[in-house]
Formats: sequence, C-alpha cells, structure tokens
Amino acid sequence: MARILLRFSESIVEEPIIAQIILELKVPINIITAHVNSKGGEVIAEVPNEALDKVVKAFRQRGALVSIPKLIEVDSEKCISCGACVTLCPVEAIKIDEDKTVVFDKEKCIGSICSTCVDACPTRAIKSVKQNNAEATTNSKQ
Amino acid sequence: MKRLVESSGVEVAFREVDVVTTGTFGAMCSSGAVINLGHADPPIKIEKAWINDVPICHPGAAVDLYIGATAMSERQPFEYGGGHVIEDLVSGKEVELRATAYGTDCYPRTQIRTHLTKDDLNQFYLLNFRNCYQRYACAVNSRDETVYTYMGKLLPRLKNATYSGAGELNPLMNDPDYETIGIGTRIFLGGTQGYVIGEGTQHDPQNRLGTIMVRGDAKKMNPEFLRGASFTRYGTTLYVGIGIPIPILNLGLAKKTAIRDEEIFTNVVDYGVPRRNRPVLGRVSYKELKSGSITVGDKRIRVSSLSSLKTARKIAATLKRWIEEGEFYLTAPVERLPLDTVFKPMRQTEEVSFVANVMQKAITCKENETLQAVAERIVTRSVNHIVMVDDNGKLTGIVTSWDITRALAHGKTALADVVTRRVITAKPDEPLETASKRMAQHNISALPVIDNERKVLGIVTAEDVSKLLGR
Ligand code: SF4
Ligand code: SF4
Repeated sequence: MARILLRFSESIVEEPIIAQIILELKVPINIITAHVNSKGGEVIAEVPNEALDKVVKAFRQRGALVSIPKLIEVDSEKCISCGACVTLCPVEAIKIDEDKTVVFDKEKCIGSICSTCVDACPTRAIKSVKQNNAEATTNSKQ
Repeated sequence: MKRLVESSGVEVAFREVDVVTTGTFGAMCSSGAVINLGHADPPIKIEKAWINDVPICHPGAAVDLYIGATAMSERQPFEYGGGHVIEDLVSGKEVELRATAYGTDCYPRTQIRTHLTKDDLNQFYLLNFRNCYQRYACAVNSRDETVYTYMGKLLPRLKNATYSGAGELNPLMNDPDYETIGIGTRIFLGGTQGYVIGEGTQHDPQNRLGTIMVRGDAKKMNPEFLRGASFTRYGTTLYVGIGIPIPILNLGLAKKTAIRDEEIFTNVVDYGVPRRNRPVLGRVSYKELKSGSITVGDKRIRVSSLSSLKTARKIAATLKRWIEEGEFYLTAPVERLPLDTVFKPMRQTEEVSFVANVMQKAITCKENETLQAVAERIVTRSVNHIVMVDDNGKLTGIVTSWDITRALAHGKTALADVVTRRVITAKPDEPLETASKRMAQHNISALPVIDNERKVLGIVTAEDVSKLLGR
C-alpha cells in the first residue's frame, strides 16, 4: 500500500470525489485521516501500490492536489529508546514495549506532513524517507 | 533486591544479597573529555582549537585540551557538538584537529591542522564534573507556543510532559546517605570501569539532588553507553551510562536499596516560565512517570522520558555480570560524598528587569463599542493599543491605531472586523528580555500582560522596553 495526501479546495470539497473514484476504478481507497470543512479538506489515504498511478491521475483530473508524503523511519542503530518522541505523536504511533524498547507503528504514522517527533529526537534517529514506490508520481506536476 | 525485600523482608534480603547494581543513561551536559595530543614539530602552544569544527577549550599547557559536550560545531550548530566528537573518537573514527597560536620562542608554530584517532592521543579521559542527578523535575509548558528546552520539546498548553532519570534504578537513590559512594568508588562508566572522584557541581544532598564527579578511560569506552545528542534549539550534549554497585554492608542499606519508584517523588514544573524558580504545578512519583501519563489538577498529561530506561537496565545487568565473573572489584571510598553541601543561587550585582517593572495600565474597550469610540480613545489617551476585555476583565482581543487606519482605508466600520483575536501576550513575572524578543519575533509593538486566568493586568510596549534596556 502507498500513502497519498489529497487536498481539496473550497470549490470542490462538497463533491463526493473519493467515492466516485472508488466506484469508477474499482480500487479500494482506505482513509487514514481526514480534516474537512466547508473551506476545503486534507485527507490521507492508502491505495494499493499497483493502482497508485491511475488513482493519482484520477484525483488530479478532478482538481484535487495530490502529493506523496514521505514516510517516517527510525534508524534502530541510532535509537537509544529514550522515549523523547513518544508523547509528541498525535496518533500514538510510538509505543514503549515490555522491555522498554521504543517501537514505531509505521501503519499508524501519518508521515512527513506531521513530523512532530523528528526534531525532538536527541540522537537524530528519526528521518523522513521517500516511499519506495513514489518515484514515478512525485516528479509529475501537482 | 526490591522484590526480595517485599516478599521475604529486610533481614532475609540482607543475608542473601551482597551487592545491588544500579544504572542510569541520560543526557548529562556537564560532561567532557581531557585529551593530550603530544607535541608537534616544530612545537605549538595551542591558543584556540577546533575538532571537526567544534571549538575545544584550552585550559592548560601547550597540547592539553578539554572537549566540552555542549560546545557546538560552527558549521552545524545544534546538530553536532562536543558530545558527538567524544562519541566519534570513542568509536574509533578519525577527527580533524585545527589549532592556532600566537607563537613563542619555545613554541614557534602558529597554526596546525591534522587528523587523529583515539590511538594517536596520549590520554583520553572522560572527565565529567556533574553527572547522575539523583532525580529530575518533570517538565511541562503552559505557554501558547511549543518551547524547546533541555527537557526536550514541550508542546503548548500542557499537552505533553517529559522527565529524566531512572527512578528506583538511579545509583544515588539507592544509597541516599552516600554510605558507600565517594572518592575512589569504582563504577561502570561509558561501558568500562571508571571512578567517582568526588561530589559533582551543584551537589545538593539535603534536597535529595546529589551529583557526582566521575573520571574514566574513554579509550576503553563503548559508544553504546556514550552518545552525542542534539536537543533542538537548546544545543548538544552527551548521553552517559553510569552504574554503581552498592554493597549491602548493613540492614539499613538493604532497606534503602529496596526503594521503589512509588516512593520517589518529583515536582511537575512549568518550563514555559523562563525563571530560576519556575512554578510548580504538582507532584508525581516515578511510578506515575513511568506509567506514561500523569495527572496535574484535573488534566491527564502524557509523559515520556528523555533518558533511556532500557539502557539503564542493561548497565545494571552488565555490572552485575562483571561482578559475578570476577572482572569488577568493589572499592571502599577514600572519602564519602558530603551530606551537608548547600547549593546557592548566583549572586547578581546588576539588577534584572521584569515585565511587571515596566508595564503600564492598559487602556481597554468592550466588544460592543463602536469603532468611532475606540478611535477617539486612541487619540484622547494618546496610546497606540487598545486592549479588548470581557465583563470579567479577561482578554478577548487587541486593536491598534494601525488597524483603525487600515480599516478606514478599506471602508470597514465594525469593531469586530478590526480587532485581532489571537493576541500575543506576556506574564508579569517574565524577564523583560524574553518579552522583548517575542515582540521582535512577531513584529509587534506591545503585549498585553495577563495572569493565569487571562485577566488583563496591564500592557508593555516596545517603546518602554527600549527606554529601559537602552536599545
Ligand atoms: S511523524 Fe507524526 S505521526 Fe509519525 S510517528 Fe512522528 S509524531 Fe507520530
Ligand atoms: S527520540 Fe529518538 S532515540 Fe529517543 S526513542 Fe525516539 S527515536 Fe529513539
């Protein structure tokens, strides 16, 4: 699965764009987070890798801005399991397990549009990296 | 030990247990390393030195240097510093040394540039003048903005809390009367064996805030227990692993080493207030801290640590293994840590100004007034700022003469269209310097002064500040 960030302007926010695309392309689109009001919206969604290109194209055709957020990764060599990052995470993607190791839940993390934890890490173990399947789409016009 | 005392009592524990090992792994800013470079040819008496662009102190003779953990790289400040230099050297990496000098008859050289590893150094000793604080405060931030401190990143309005220290695993907490700790106590330091060389600076035993000064051969250390670190907008530091064995010499020590996290308390302190005595918002135990959330007033706050409990446990376990395998021998201190040291604040011979010293009465208006009335008040009271308050005197907005001019230019007539709702404020006990910085940062010329309930107490203007601070 690949994560995409969709931005809808005021003029199109009322339209059921996501639903239309799911029906039209017959692709499951999983919504991770959504902040929508009458002035516009921001949605993070997950789509299957193989459908990424056509889904992105379909959203762009309908006037949505699509970008591929970077993923947040932790270098386990550098991480000292201090815990400084844990309480900063708005979605509780960072946990401390039984033996006091700090573990990241990549599925939950909303990626580089958040990045709240990144500058709090004293060993600079947290980095944002490109999604490995994002090469083709990130370079195209947004 | 802790469990044994609980289940079988102090007597049994005293008979069964010989030594309790402890450990802690946290950021310790008062850390550093002494190195000796050997002489160059022609020789140089170093005046200024840098390693990997980090300025290095030159406290003594020609080629002795002290790498302070908090010194920051001139090229990458806040990201790379003395702590990282020490870690790099310990890891066996090559570093670049640059030095300059004024040149003397016996030391003619004025510059040098060379590459070194730890093997090229004569001595490389970790020499930390304050480590291993018995406990730390728990930090929160009441301000409306995120603050970056030595207690980490603190989100606005008490949204998170941080703490440091290993609690019941902390070395000094297990021997709070320093019966077995003092000059000459052999310890685990950075992955090898080191020594306590006396009380640390700011040692404050009467408030259970003891510290130690330590020394160890850094050439033998392990980067797993010695890590350079960066605290955003605060600076660089060094994480240091320390473990102390506590021999159970008497029943009292059996009892003391049984200390639990729920018996160790610390204050929840508001780091949003940049003063020496920061407001204390509550009191919590290390048990609560380690549980991941604390309660302050009626608010539940998520809390996490800055020091690594995982590594602290590993240190205590390693020390235990060393002792069992006969690699580590306990020593009796030559002189115990003092119990009567007093930690005094700095004597200040120049006065510091606070917001309360310069604030003036605020000219206010109410929500339901007309723009016209507010404009008139600006003229008659000859001020530039009108503070909007509700019936209880609480801050709801601010209107400036510039806002009114602009409103007229745009043909706006309602007060509601003109007022700024998101007001940047100051607190009365804040140093004038930080208030002044905030004005500059937001490019504004006054700050309403409010109390904790957002009641308006006055206003401080850039003009008043510059009169007093003379800039
Ligand atoms: S980037 Fe944000 S969501 Fe992801 S782990 Fe860090 S704080 Fe949590
Ligand atoms: S702040 Fe960095 S070092 Fe500490 S637990 Fe998080 S990722 Fe690991």
